[in-house]
Amino acid sequence: MLKVPEHQVAGHIAKDGKLGPLIDDQGRFYKPLQGDARGENEAKFYESFTSNKNVPDHIRGYFPVYHGVQQVEASDGSGELPHLVLEDVVSGYVKPSVMDVKIGSRTWYPDVSEEYFNKCIKKDMATTTVSLGFRVSGLKIFDHQVSGFWRPDKRVVLAYKVDGARMALRKFVSSNSLDDDAVPDCAFASEVYGGSNGILKQLLELKAWFETQTLYHFNSCSVLMVYENESGGDDERRAQVKLVDFAHVLDGNGVIDHNFFGGLCSFIKFIQDILESSDNGHENGH
Amino acid sequence: MHLKAPEHQVAGHIAKDGKPGPLVDDKGRFFKPLQGDSRGEIEVKFYESFSSNTEVPDHIRRYFPVYHGTQAVEGSDGATMIVLENLLSKYSKPSVMDVKMGSRTWYPEASEEYIQKCLRKDARSTTVSSGFRISGFEVFDHRELSFWKPDRKLLNGIKVDGVRVALRKFVSSNTLSDTSSKPDSAFASSVYGGSNGILTQLLELKTWFENQTFYHFNSCSILIIYENEAINDNGARAQVKLVDFAHVHDGNGVIDHNFLGGLCSFINFVRDILQSVDESTEN
Repeated sequence: MLKVPEHQVAGHIAKDGKLGPLIDDQGRFYKPLQGDARGENEAKFYESFTSNKNVPDHIRGYFPVYHGVQQVEASDGSGELPHLVLEDVVSGYVKPSVMDVKIGSRTWYPDVSEEYFNKCIKKDMATTTVSLGFRVSGLKIFDHQVSGFWRPDKRVVLAYKVDGARMALRKFVSSNSLDDDAVPDCAFASEVYGGSNGILKQLLELKAWFETQTLYHFNSCSVLMVYENESGGDDERRAQVKLVDFAHVLDGNGVIDHNFFGGLCSFIKFIQDILESSDNGHENGH
Repeated sequence: MHLKAPEHQVAGHIAKDGKPGPLVDDKGRFFKPLQGDSRGEIEVKFYESFSSNTEVPDHIRRYFPVYHGTQAVEGSDGATMIVLENLLSKYSKPSVMDVKMGSRTWYPEASEEYIQKCLRKDARSTTVSSGFRISGFEVFDHRELSFWKPDRKLLNGIKVDGVRVALRKFVSSNTLSDTSSKPDSAFASSVYGGSNGILTQLLELKTWFENQTFYHFNSCSILIIYENEAINDNGARAQVKLVDFAHVHDGNGVIDHNFLGGLCSFINFVRDILQSVDESTEN
């Protein structure tokens, strides 16, 4: 029995009869293969990546597991459509906070159509993509004070400038995100961003791979950040970084993905700054 | 003060058709005419800021030309010039390469016209694909005992493979104007490798760029210089220098991800050459 995912923050949403991804109760995510070359390209990437012996195991963990392509009843009632079957990266979480960050100072790439290029560059300039090397695509944060999720409107998110992006990254690890008047408390910054298994550590591992890997150029890909809000016995946040959305991935052809690398470093710096200022705040007894 | 045109200028403006170009004196100084339309002003502003910025570590300062202020110079209609360290004054027979860093040479604050002009040039060259492009180079041929410079038009049209060939030619000793013989990369280890070589210096710069949020070095170049005179006895004295700060803007708390990405890509190209040379000598 397939249903619409609850925690989708960016991309197409299967709602109100629209075509979008679905999930099952076995931890799988079904992404409809779109008519144009994009779906094909994404499947091609997953096939290549899955069998690529040059990808180290610890890096493989940052990518959703691929389960091939399957004919599935489409969410818009149009009948059976091929769907990419992937690991549902949030299936192991009860109350996940999720953020999608598109990495790179440009989302276009060489040899695209003029129309696509113009569409991309316009969006890149209007958001923080050009200025920061990344942009927040979507987020959904659990607010502990009201015990509910905060999910800003997509248009609001796309209008973020540098300060908005910084604020979103602070709110992401705060317990008081819904309170617009309060300064984000960054209560979970050290647990989520910091620590030996936190977001920063994972991003740094990815960065080290991007310094030399010339296999793929991850145009227009996102980093998905997820962590648990439900307080369990082990109090673990289980913060996870996953790379998603491979419709525009191309061969690296012996050149590193300098576009992704630069944006990733900029994103890492933002996280580091938040971690540092929250550490200092706690030291000062705030 | 005796001023003359510099000998080894590989990129940028040269003195032509009555327009002022850069000059050098015999005291190790380089005089750069202030460009019109605020670019000269921005460059001066950068040098002033950088010289007095106490947060720039000393080991990074060495990658920048020393700034000696501005001066009105005779014979150039009293035009103001930026006075800098002449980076080549301590070299006798320098090979020089200018590499423009970054996958884009434009920046958000630029005019629409400038952005379009840059986009075209970036797409035509290796800037978009590789994160840097070779603006020019001049290399000493140890057989012909003369300097060789590739044709500017040819250089502008090279793609990724052409970049690799150019980077090999730059550290070769054999006849470079003869396209049939393969570059011997004879000086690859002395220039690119070693504890003081180009690769080590670039990696030091990269570490700084991973954290510094002071400046965005739009359209800046990395100059690579090394000595050919007695290179086998005295070593290459290879140097990396950042140059051309007419489009530098404040970082405003954000790292220069554009420069950093390009720099990392360039480092990989240099490293690949070093590795393939090491592998072939082992065989």
